[in-house]
Amino acid sequence: MHRRGVGAGAIAKKKLAEAKYKERGNVLAEDQIVQMSKQLETFKSHLEEFASKHKQEIRKNPQFRVQFQEMCATIGVDPLASGKGFWSEMLGVGDFYYELGVQIVEVCLALKHRNGGLMTLDELHQRVLKGRGKFAQDVSQDDLLRALKKLKVMGSGFGMIPVGGSYLVQSVPAELNMDHTVVLQLAEKKGFVTVSEIRESLKWEKERACHVLDHLLKEGLAWLDAQAEGDAHYWLPALFSELSSRDITPEEENQMTP
Amino acid sequence: MSFEWPWQYSFPPFFTLQPNVDTRQKQLAAWCSLALSYCRHHRLYTLDVMEAQESPVFNNKKIERKLSMEAIQVVFEELRKKGNLEWLDKNKSRCLVMWRRPEEWGKLIYQWVSKNGMNNSVFTLYELSNGDDTQGEDFHGLEEWMLLRSLQALQTDGKAEIISMDDGKGVKFF
Repeated sequence: MHRRGVGAGAIAKKKLAEAKYKERGNVLAEDQIVQMSKQLETFKSHLEEFASKHKQEIRKNPQFRVQFQEMCATIGVDPLASGKGFWSEMLGVGDFYYELGVQIVEVCLALKHRNGGLMTLDELHQRVLKGRGKFAQDVSQDDLLRALKKLKVMGSGFGMIPVGGSYLVQSVPAELNMDHTVVLQLAEKKGFVTVSEIRESLKWEKERACHVLDHLLKEGLAWLDAQAEGDAHYWLPALFSELSSRDITPEEENQMTP
Repeated sequence: MSFEWPWQYSFPPFFTLQPNVDTRQKQLAAWCSLALSYCRHHRLYTLDVMEAQESPVFNNKKIERKLSMEAIQVVFEELRKKGNLEWLDKNKSRCLVMWRRPEEWGKLIYQWVSKNGMNNSVFTLYELSNGDDTQGEDFHGLEEWMLLRSLQALQTDGKAEIISMDDGKGVKFF
């Protein structure tokens, strides 16, 4: 028998075999693609079905919204990631949070003169609900936090400072570093803080404490109370809980001044 | 109707003159509004500075805070600059408080006159401020010095003329 191992024929045979394998590979990939497309189609139609069934629910029910968001997170989808796109168009979720963001900005602007741009999440929640009126969709604190995250991403000077189990919402880009934040957290309990308290709780030097308090005064976030017993008290309007008290409105002022 | 205090009134630092300039501006604006509002509610036309210190406006006993004499003077100076206050003496111990300007009072009075078809009528000052006809009007009970200024404003506008009568002054409306 002739030995044809490495002859022209062998190469040709090898080439043919390779070609067949390649074809097979392509066929395999094609198969997979067709399979995946089918799956995606099914998936998409399920989603559309889900969306149309639950669109109202998502807009009306804060708890449902939370669960929906968590479900999306599990599968690695952020419904708020982009203004346009399947999710926001299909479900209108983007609109909902965008409008909420606008409301949040309005509330914060309206109160900035009073609290220097710092407000508890609780107060923000109450005021947003009030502004929406009786017949509007309900809004939860979770919704506010998500809308705030969006605002933050858009670089509008918004921030959230964790205090006492909740948050302080910062709507003015005052420069607050770790030292300031820590003092804010300390002030949260009583609505005010003193130099002695800071020194005692945080073990700081007097100068460091004074420096932080001066900064808070300068940013309009704190007011000085010199009539307190002992140390001067530094109060934060943001933490002052007399929400039901009215403000002197600019309209009234105009009525009274020349 | 009882007087509604603004949120600042229960806020202890409100009674300390703020060191930060911007905050102080806000504080003084709020104090001016509060003082005028309070005077308007209680129909106060004059204030005595010593008495003011003990008045509930500047002294919140509930939170044990009150404006110092120095701070009260600062607030009063702000009101004076805005045209809502006039000192009655050099020592600055008593002042007139104008929570409504004479021009505004004049307008109200003239509106009442026109509404009742009383143009070309003559009134004594007393009739205007204390007459039965003006019962229930905002300007009823208006103190004479303010009434006179209001009528002077109308006079300047050509809407009235102040005349001298047997036992005092009167006014004719056009």
